[in-house]
Amino acid sequence: MNVETEALTRRFGTVTAVAGVDLQAGPGVFGLLGPNGAGKTSLLRMMATAMPPSSGTLRLLGRDPGRYGSRREIRRRLGYLPQNPGYHPGFTVAEHVEYFALLKEVPSARIRAAVATAIDRVGLGDRRRSRLRTLSGGMLRRAGIAQAIVNEPELLLLDEPTAGLDPEQRLAFRALLRDLGQRATVVVSTHLVEDVAAACAQVALMDDGKIVFHGTPEALAARGNGNDAGDTPIERGYSAVLAEARS
Amino acid sequence: MTRLLRVELRHNAMVLLLPVVVALFWLTTYRKTVAMAPFWNVRAASLQLNAVLDFAVSVTGTAAWMGSREARHRLTDQLTVTARPRWARLLVPWAATAIWALVVYFGCVAWLYAATAHQASWGGPLWWPVAVGAASVAAFSALGFAVGTCLPSRFTAPLATIAAFFVLALSTQLIHGSQSYWNVSPIVTGPWDMAPQPGVATFYPFAPDLPIAQVMFLVGLTAALLGTLGLPAGAGGRPLRLAAAGLTGAGLLAAGTAAGLAGTGTLGPHGMIDIPALHDAASDRPLRYTPVCSHTAIPVCFNPAYARYLPATAGALAPVLDQIAGLPGAPARIVQESVTYRQEPGNGVAVFYAGRSAGPARVFPVVLADQVPGPAMTAAQMADQAASMYAGGLVRGVIGDGPAASPAQNAVARAVLTAAGVRQLTISSPSGKAARGTDAPDSGRQEVAPGTTAYAAAVRFAALPASARRAWLVRHIAALRAGQVTLEQIP
Repeated sequence: MNVETEALTRRFGTVTAVAGVDLQAGPGVFGLLGPNGAGKTSLLRMMATAMPPSSGTLRLLGRDPGRYGSRREIRRRLGYLPQNPGYHPGFTVAEHVEYFALLKEVPSARIRAAVATAIDRVGLGDRRRSRLRTLSGGMLRRAGIAQAIVNEPELLLLDEPTAGLDPEQRLAFRALLRDLGQRATVVVSTHLVEDVAAACAQVALMDDGKIVFHGTPEALAARGNGNDAGDTPIERGYSAVLAEARS
Repeated sequence: MTRLLRVELRHNAMVLLLPVVVALFWLTTYRKTVAMAPFWNVRAASLQLNAVLDFAVSVTGTAAWMGSREARHRLTDQLTVTARPRWARLLVPWAATAIWALVVYFGCVAWLYAATAHQASWGGPLWWPVAVGAASVAAFSALGFAVGTCLPSRFTAPLATIAAFFVLALSTQLIHGSQSYWNVSPIVTGPWDMAPQPGVATFYPFAPDLPIAQVMFLVGLTAALLGTLGLPAGAGGRPLRLAAAGLTGAGLLAAGTAAGLAGTGTLGPHGMIDIPALHDAASDRPLRYTPVCSHTAIPVCFNPAYARYLPATAGALAPVLDQIAGLPGAPARIVQESVTYRQEPGNGVAVFYAGRSAGPARVFPVVLADQVPGPAMTAAQMADQAASMYAGGLVRGVIGDGPAASPAQNAVARAVLTAAGVRQLTISSPSGKAARGTDAPDSGRQEVAPGTTAYAAAVRFAALPASARRAWLVRHIAALRAGQVTLEQIP
């Protein structure tokens, strides 16, 4: 398993954002669903080693991120796209991706090819020399995905990656996710359930800091019925599980 | 790291600010400095004082802007989860900022020093003041970067810029006398409140005691500030954080030691701050140089650094020298002397000069107005002042001097000076305390008041043709010096 958590908890003062999450995820695309404030981003940030858990255990790529040496090794093999990715506006797309490749300690000999591949995979090949300040929101999101995958990560964590993408880009992105999931563990946090249905093999639904469902998208869809809110079976399943968890 | 540095160099905010810094340097440093007399020490001191302000202030703001960049661009999380240690990651944009600032700083130094090399008649560049400037750039960039990293906001950079200016400007306000810890401030080039003097480091070697302490302080400050960036838990592994702690400690120790050393400094006799622990006795030995001399009846010899003042000064003294050359008691040469400095109470500095005779021939010592504190002068102004200060002394040295001078001696002296065009009769002793704009004390001075018989004799003698006057002097100088000539005997 590339991600293993046990009673993972994160508190911010008196607020418990993640409350004792147990989770395992192996290679493939893993969807993390939940309403706003459910704790998805906090869980993802802990998985990304951006912040330590308050309690519980976390193992990533078979290592304990609490130890600096292991954490550094995990980070070499990690890709992360936060919910609101930042960027240096003066950098070009290629420089942005190269910058992260250098910080992720991609071997020098491989950087040029890795940057080109990452940019091509997100469909920004023709904008590689464009400064980031000139790009649209969707393009910036793709540039963010490119930096996340430039080191060919074994664990890729994407927080709301399809926000701002147009329908065509979302379709292309789902294909990219499926492709990345062939070799790596991809955890996608989203509240767009159709993305999960289309690309994920496993899905977890969070509410109030807890995992309230863990299974396949089909199993989630099966939890719904005609009376639940939603246009698609998986949306109805999503609504049914949340209603059950809150009752 | 090299590749990362290249990326950072391409996108450093300092690049955008370079034209502004160069313009600032031209406006506040270059124009002011090249307007000063072309003495290397004067130019170097002006460079240190002004360029440090230009560069340190601007680099502080820029570095603060770069230091706050990650947070302003919402990149903190993305960069935190990269493999490279945070400390190493932060040092790269700091280095890029410092490199750009240093490149431009050295370019500006080269520009100013090239102009000085073109104008100066003697000596060579002084590098210690340049080193202080370079160390200031590094230290203030580290300061700005640390502030920007710790307090990231769009207001950090402007506030850091303003703070840096006031810290530098106010750092000298507490200096009291030459013995002050505040002398470690990089804008202090010598005794505070005494402008750079051309005579300093001209007759004696430049004593780098204070610049050494300043560089030590600034390097220590740089190390301590950069070290603190590596102290937080997420900055790196245990070995890296231990190294950062060691660097911080060593930096603080160096900075503290340097400030302590600066506090032990005193104004040395040659106008520079001497720090006993750093002082090299070799810098107390006079510099060897071949003086430049005029072709006047009595040669006027200056330190070669003052060569540009020689023609005017020799020209102003020539009429007097023509009158007295070859007479008993006349000097064989007029030689420029160095002055000595002494700290007075408060921030006052007293400047002394002492006449001396060297070798078998009698030497008349002179000190030029530029060698003592005061406003800058043109060559013509300095020549006029030299003539008014020394012509009387030269003439009285030949004719007879002192309180017991006879009326005839006073009348002849007045006549010779009048004939030489020296209107202000001021007679200086060959030694005394110098203060520019005032005459040296002369207890033996005797006025020849208009309406007296002595005055009439002086007017009469001055009206003689120069050849007749000189012929009379040659024949009667011995009797005149002995006080055996009466006013009536003066033709």
